[in-house]
Amino acid sequence: MSAPTAASTSERTLTLKEVGPAKRASRPDEVVVAVSPAFSDPFTKTIVDVPHAEVIRQILAGIEEQGVHARVIKVWDTADLAAVAHTGARLSGSGISIGLLSRGTAMIHQRDLPRLSNLELFPQSPLLDAEVFRRIGSNAAQYAKGESPAPVPTRNDQMARPRWQAKAALLHLKEFECIVAGRKPVEVEPVISRA
Amino acid sequence: MTRRLVVGVDIGNSTTEACVAAVSGTSVEYLGTALTHTTGVKGTPDNTDGAVAAVRRALDRAGHTESEVETVLLNEATPVISGLAMETISETIITESTMIGHNPATPGGEGLGVGTTVAIDALSGASGPTIAVVGPGWDFDDVATELNAATDRGLEVVAAVLAHDDAVLVVNRLRAPIPVVDEVGAVEKVPLGMRAAVEVAPPGRTIRTLSDSYGLASVFELDPDQTKHVSPVARALTGNRSAVVVRTPSGDVTDRRIPVGTLTLRGAGKTLQVDVDAGAEAIMEVLGRVQPLDDATGEAGTHVGGMLAQVRDTMTDVTGQPAAEIRIRDVLAVDTFVPKEVRGGLAGEVAPENAVALAAMVRTSRSRMQVVADEVAAALGCRAEIGGVEGEMAVRGALTTPGTAIPIAVLDLGGGSTDAALLDRDGVSSAVHVAGAGELVTKLIGSELALDDREQAEAVKRYPLAKVESFFHVRHEDGTVQFFPEPLPSHVFARVVTMTPEGPAPVATRHSVDHVRRVRREAKRKVFAVNAVRALQQVAPGGSLRMLDFVVLLGGSALDFEIPDLIADALAGYGVVCGIGNVHGSEGPRNAVASGLVDAHVAGA
Amino acid sequence: MTTTENRRSRRTEILEDRPVNLDGFVEEWPEKGLVAMESDFDPQPSVRVEGGRIVELDGRARADFDFMDTFIADHAIDVETAEEVNAIPSVEIARALVDPRASRDELTRIGRGLTPAKILDVVKLMNVVEIMMAMQKMRARRTPANQAHSTSAKDNPIQVAADAAEGALRGFAELETTLGVVRYAPLVAIALQVGGQVGRGGVLTQCALEEATELELGMRGITAYAETISVYGTESVFVDGDDTPWSKAFLASAYASRGIKMRFTSGTGSEVQMGNAEGRSMLYLEIRCILMAKGAGVQGLQNGSISCIGVPGAVPGGIRAVAAENLVASWMDLECASGNDQSFSHSAMRRTARLLPQMLPGTDFVCSGYSAVPNADNMFAGSNLDTEDFDDWNTIQRDLQVDGGLRHVREPEILQVREKAARALQAVFAELDLPRITDEEVEAAVYANGSGDYPERDVLEDLKGAQSVMDRGVTGLDLVKALERSGFHDVAENLLTVLRQRVSGDLLQTSAILTDDFVPLSAINDANDYGGPGSGYRLQGERWEQLKKLRHVTSAEDPETEVS
Repeated sequence: MSAPTAASTSERTLTLKEVGPAKRASRPDEVVVAVSPAFSDPFTKTIVDVPHAEVIRQILAGIEEQGVHARVIKVWDTADLAAVAHTGARLSGSGISIGLLSRGTAMIHQRDLPRLSNLELFPQSPLLDAEVFRRIGSNAAQYAKGESPAPVPTRNDQMARPRWQAKAALLHLKEFECIVAGRKPVEVEPVISRA
Repeated sequence: MTRRLVVGVDIGNSTTEACVAAVSGTSVEYLGTALTHTTGVKGTPDNTDGAVAAVRRALDRAGHTESEVETVLLNEATPVISGLAMETISETIITESTMIGHNPATPGGEGLGVGTTVAIDALSGASGPTIAVVGPGWDFDDVATELNAATDRGLEVVAAVLAHDDAVLVVNRLRAPIPVVDEVGAVEKVPLGMRAAVEVAPPGRTIRTLSDSYGLASVFELDPDQTKHVSPVARALTGNRSAVVVRTPSGDVTDRRIPVGTLTLRGAGKTLQVDVDAGAEAIMEVLGRVQPLDDATGEAGTHVGGMLAQVRDTMTDVTGQPAAEIRIRDVLAVDTFVPKEVRGGLAGEVAPENAVALAAMVRTSRSRMQVVADEVAAALGCRAEIGGVEGEMAVRGALTTPGTAIPIAVLDLGGGSTDAALLDRDGVSSAVHVAGAGELVTKLIGSELALDDREQAEAVKRYPLAKVESFFHVRHEDGTVQFFPEPLPSHVFARVVTMTPEGPAPVATRHSVDHVRRVRREAKRKVFAVNAVRALQQVAPGGSLRMLDFVVLLGGSALDFEIPDLIADALAGYGVVCGIGNVHGSEGPRNAVASGLVDAHVAGA
Repeated sequence: MTTTENRRSRRTEILEDRPVNLDGFVEEWPEKGLVAMESDFDPQPSVRVEGGRIVELDGRARADFDFMDTFIADHAIDVETAEEVNAIPSVEIARALVDPRASRDELTRIGRGLTPAKILDVVKLMNVVEIMMAMQKMRARRTPANQAHSTSAKDNPIQVAADAAEGALRGFAELETTLGVVRYAPLVAIALQVGGQVGRGGVLTQCALEEATELELGMRGITAYAETISVYGTESVFVDGDDTPWSKAFLASAYASRGIKMRFTSGTGSEVQMGNAEGRSMLYLEIRCILMAKGAGVQGLQNGSISCIGVPGAVPGGIRAVAAENLVASWMDLECASGNDQSFSHSAMRRTARLLPQMLPGTDFVCSGYSAVPNADNMFAGSNLDTEDFDDWNTIQRDLQVDGGLRHVREPEILQVREKAARALQAVFAELDLPRITDEEVEAAVYANGSGDYPERDVLEDLKGAQSVMDRGVTGLDLVKALERSGFHDVAENLLTVLRQRVSGDLLQTSAILTDDFVPLSAINDANDYGGPGSGYRLQGERWEQLKKLRHVTSAEDPETEVS
């Protein structure tokens, strides 16, 4: 049995269509995915070239497979991962959120936690691939259901520093440029289309 | 009258206790106690370091120095070495990849689909009711597109089997939902072109058709002979929310016994053999027929045989006695189960396989405590003597518990062995050691819950459970809720935890609090409650527990939060008063032997 | 012949596969501070003193000072000389730094009055060879030394003790450890101290932890010094960490009050990495850190980018800036532990090149530190050098006749101290009633390379033991007593002598280390007297004979044999 080739490898693109101010929801079966200011525009891929379309698609798939509802918001006034994720958590009906920076760094957060804490943190953006994003979505959804998922194994690579530290700093600075101070978070509808 | 400083030292299997007393005439004043780890195997010269450390620490606490000590009293301790082994005695085997019953967390769709297995990339050539088989590398969007296209062409796609965790995703994208089973890691082994059935039950329910022999017979149009043949398949799928059964010419599920050798038990002039895979009950029954046990041996190449040989070797090393002279004096067999991956399974299916855990114990009369006494005397610059036998001293210490009287029995539930001693109305005392104690409990908990981590199993044994329901509250295993003013650490969120003195610690399990609690209590009951009765029967007059009046629990496990209750329950039927020792009305279950030594010394002087 | 678009030359393919191409490189972005040391956005030097107070610093009036400016103006810069020395043309100061005839004393006097922008203006004029020339003269201690990381991926105390002993024997003057599981700290810190004193009496140890626990272990005498007190070059980064220059200075005084050696840590790239460089170059901000350390009164600084080395390493001239920051620390008369302590490059050639500006002139500690365990066991996330590089290091010392602080040691001696360290720790654990160390573990420690070579410890028991060390108030003196009681008289004596130093306070002097004879060697009694060729520290005599030894050297007397 062979895996399909042409159809699935064609590039998907992501557009985040604004639907209005992000509000706090009450449905307990939702996870909020909060993305940073430069996510999908102007940046389109993570530090290791995973397309943002695939990042979002896999995270949403991980949540959907658990039978949980997902809502995506864009945070405009900060590019600090903990702040992005915590903003999402405070708006989430379940209190669970996934925070996501453009370069791929991710975090699962919960409303009642201090901002600088988290449920699971994935700090090494160069090591996050589509499969990890799927599992992050899946775990967040399981937390929302009150289950105890095994934490997504975090990877570590001492040689990530020489390869990626400066690019990460650069991406961080660029992301900071996209901050719109004082602008409230916006609910967005992810539109994924195939080229 | 002169005031003399005397120190009683109890060298136990795992801890060494010291107790400092000032003695003048027959009056004794207890000044301080201390506890350290026992160094080396109890009853061997290695004990000296621990004994000296315990004495020094107790003196420190009492505010005295080494030079003031007149006599150190040691117990006559005999080496006890215990061992543990486990044999898995059943095995589930699936042949010809006929069945998938692994219970993925999130199957898709609902209902029963019966058709022919076809690879997803060969759907265009298929006809009739079809079950699509999807290998790794397929994206869920593409799978849904393919299945929708096939349905549009008029193909009757009745179910699907997927490699990845995509079932809900795929079903959500189908125009007509079908039952889908996913996370089938070895999906490429599913036989193609065969008649098969896929069943998914609604959330919270279990499958009805494929877990029923007649259901299978109806689906696959089986005759009575064939139906008999598939009944193990139905049994294996009972309790699942989803399943796949493929009908192949000789596909089968079998549950076979694994021969793991025999255990040879010798005693009472008889030599009997028992197959280890006969289970704990059979082993213990045979053991009962050869009491008192003279020796036990296992078959080479089996875990049990290896363990028995190793226990013997260790004792040889420790005492210098030839191996031939060393006898296994007790064994305890316990039935348990071990979650094991099914052989021939396609999705890492796990079945609880039967297993037998065996604890064994060897002791020797060849104590080398005199050497320890000499070395202690040299290190501390005082007199050191063997002040009494541990069992007798323990009973003497226990007797200082308020509310007790002769005849009195003590139970010391240790790590490797459970010890009992009795002091009868004539002042005669007797003592036994039986195999199986705390370490066996840890092992049972660890294997039944499939915890990789011995520390977690140990924590489950020692501390009550709870579920962390939010960052600010936990629900304890008894159902009560406790709130916290400060948020709990994030690594325990939503987890089953043990409530350790350092705070909640996560248990790596997906089981509920109730299940973990049941496993824990059952493990303790199978070892401690059973052994309490076994040990007491050996010291009780005529082997009758009804002849005992008072039973006092001593040692570390007497401080456990539920073991004393479990034992009290087990003994309740015999009319025995059972409780936790409180040596000298103040020391709790600790220091019985050490203070017993001092008391005996004073009484004898 | 025509070229096709997709075809690559064989040579390109070979170059593409070279390890250096696994490293990351980025363009500069000076507006955001992603630039090493040459930026139009750095301030111009200026200083104005009124009524004994600095009222203008690098173009900013006192009313506009942030707290870094205030701290530096009030505590780091000598107001008496500020206007005078800042008026000296930068090129004259730069030339004096390189000129052997200009004394170190005169240059530190000038340095005391300079503003951060002026210091930057001076070092910007210097190329990397001139920076090395200046470092040779400005290093505070005459004798160079080295520092090691001694950690374990499993926090195994026996491993740490054995590797500490070997490290001390190989020549490291200081040993540093840290933890995977923080609660293990007391046991690992004890292991480091005991192992270190077995390897060579007088070696100094520290355990990098959060600040309160690190201080407590120091005060108890389980560790001998502290280093990981981080400072930053912008107010916003300080505030993010809930700190100020004053809170760091307060912590420094707590160490000083007990006679415990300590230094701060900083480095280029940390501010831009956190996105708060305020548009200044990496070196400008690092110079602010150096002056902050000076102002707080600590004797030394660990710098050289440290954990942010990937940032300066990726921009043009970045490694020159790193060499310059080490120089500035020394010039400001601080002890300098000069980096080379984090995984830096996939390329062995680039790793060496990054090291030479510190190794060739010599610094107070060339590495801070060198991984004296395999990098897989390095809990500081890997160092620029590890145990596999020992022989290379020794060979480079011998080739260039420079002293990098290490030496070749023959295996029997190494095995002997490893065993003794493990035995001593076994005895200390037994005396202190800590979880038992078995003979198998001791045996493993003698021959092991990494944590995988040791039997597993019972972590739960160890953590309980670690907690009991804290609860029982075990101190360095308890370790001395335990060693003495268990027959390790010489090790007990070594440790006691190290502990006594905190009474005399000699280790508070700049760049202090202890010799084999427990003589403190610092900028006071071993002041750097470099004054050109033929002066200063020279690798010669007995030490040079030591460093001539390698694992395999063919005997001149009998070429059929080797000497080692």
